[in-house]
Amino acid sequence: MRALTWTGVNQLSVEDVPEPQLLNDHDVILKITRTTTCGSDLHLLSGYIPFMRAGDVIGHEFMGEVVEVGSGVRNRRVGDRVVVASFVSCGNCWYCRNELYSLCDNSNPNPGITEGLWGQAIGGCLGYSHAVGGYAGSHAEYMRVPFADVGSFVVPDGVPDDRALFASDAASTAFTGVDLGGVQPGDTVAVWGAGAVGQMAARISALVGAEQVVVIDRLPERLEQARTHAGADVIDYSSTDVAAELRERTGGRGPDVCIEAVGMEAHSPGPQGVYDQVKQQLRLQTDRTSAVREAIMACRKGGSVFTLGVFAAMVDKFPLGAVMNKGLTLRGAQVHGPRYIPRLLEWMESGELVTEHLATHVMPLEEAPRGYELFKEKQDGCVRAVFLPHG
Amino acid sequence: MDLDQLISRATGLTTGAGAALLGRLQSVRLPGVGTASAKDDPATAARRWRAVTVLAAPDRLADLPSPLAALGDRVETRVRPAPGDKGTELAARFRGPATDDDLGRLRQALRETKQLVEVGEVLRMDPRPHGERADTPGGRLLDGAVAASRKEGLL
Repeated sequence: MRALTWTGVNQLSVEDVPEPQLLNDHDVILKITRTTTCGSDLHLLSGYIPFMRAGDVIGHEFMGEVVEVGSGVRNRRVGDRVVVASFVSCGNCWYCRNELYSLCDNSNPNPGITEGLWGQAIGGCLGYSHAVGGYAGSHAEYMRVPFADVGSFVVPDGVPDDRALFASDAASTAFTGVDLGGVQPGDTVAVWGAGAVGQMAARISALVGAEQVVVIDRLPERLEQARTHAGADVIDYSSTDVAAELRERTGGRGPDVCIEAVGMEAHSPGPQGVYDQVKQQLRLQTDRTSAVREAIMACRKGGSVFTLGVFAAMVDKFPLGAVMNKGLTLRGAQVHGPRYIPRLLEWMESGELVTEHLATHVMPLEEAPRGYELFKEKQDGCVRAVFLPHG
Repeated sequence: MDLDQLISRATGLTTGAGAALLGRLQSVRLPGVGTASAKDDPATAARRWRAVTVLAAPDRLADLPSPLAALGDRVETRVRPAPGDKGTELAARFRGPATDDDLGRLRQALRETKQLVEVGEVLRMDPRPHGERADTPGGRLLDGAVAASRKEGLL
């Protein structure tokens, strides 16, 4: 079959690879109908997550049709149209039973790597490096999905593919931040980053009752989408003092909940940006955290800061004093997909949550390297490139 | 020296440097690799209880599942309820001296035992689809880390 593979830093290729097989009783094989780029893929592409092997098939946000079912699968049938959570979850360990699905004990076959990095191993993630399992990803014609009863969800007939696709990761990641960040009715929520995850965080915050939602970015086309489709107020950080603007809009308090949806390659104007770039390039820190710093400083006293963007390991110049002295709750998580995908599909079916506008560039899988180039360089207004492996 | 010779020479030097680095890294003792620990001496590290918490009642572990049973009498085990309804703590350690390889087998056995009790099978990964694997020092290093990762870690 054809698949998009990582072949080296900033190098991708579409090539022939073997088809996947059922390996465990709880697996299904999926015919991929739609699969999309994610901002976190760019960290793999740029070489900031050094657990990629040349030839790895990438991609973790996708949907498709079940074409083969393992003997232990109970709730999926051949022909089901499903959307799949990006993290793999067994459904039976203590973490899964407590809906902390991305922390699954049994889905990362390479636990030694992340135990060394973080003290404990987290769950496996499809198509996202050998640190989280080394699973083949979704930018392919077919894919193996382990523990399919837990991680795959039948898409209601009324939800089109270009909407359901984003329940897989972008919207469920956003919901993770909104829920665990503690957004309450009446809150003011600030979201750093107007990519797909940031836009979804803004919209879902409004759906759960936030009274005011502000999205921060520098790209006008993304800010316009956040305004139009998420109903958010927007701030262009390249021309505005973000903290001052937020104070002005919140009676001097600051946002109740600050959601960071940028990750380890945050851009920042001025000396701070140069400092972070130099230290990251010299591998003296693994992550650039300007958005997290700004969120911590802007957040109201006693408020909540949630890191949704992907970070790898160590950071520098972290305002821990502000966290402690302002009584902030600082929390982060990878996506707990199965906890949120059913509710997201309901909102998608009712029309309260729409995502089609995110798919700015739809193309055949053969053109995926060009799609990633558009996405990485943010050319031609690209918010997400969506690939169609079967045309 | 023409351009081809220059490139060939540079390539040879790079490969040699990569191989030397690989050799050096393989001799470094990192916490979580075999008996290596941040503070413990190897003998103490080898004697520590290694434990997983299994979401099951203690009686499910009364007869040791095959991965642990295969280690035989060399290993002693301890089973006790975990606090807060978190299941059962299953701990094991070697009765006598243990090598790095012994500890690796014990870690893998504990992880597989937990999987068998909780989900009924051990996750398999191969064969998996992939493209051409370029033979590079970095690739070989990662292959080694992945091959060892079921047996290594902080468990």
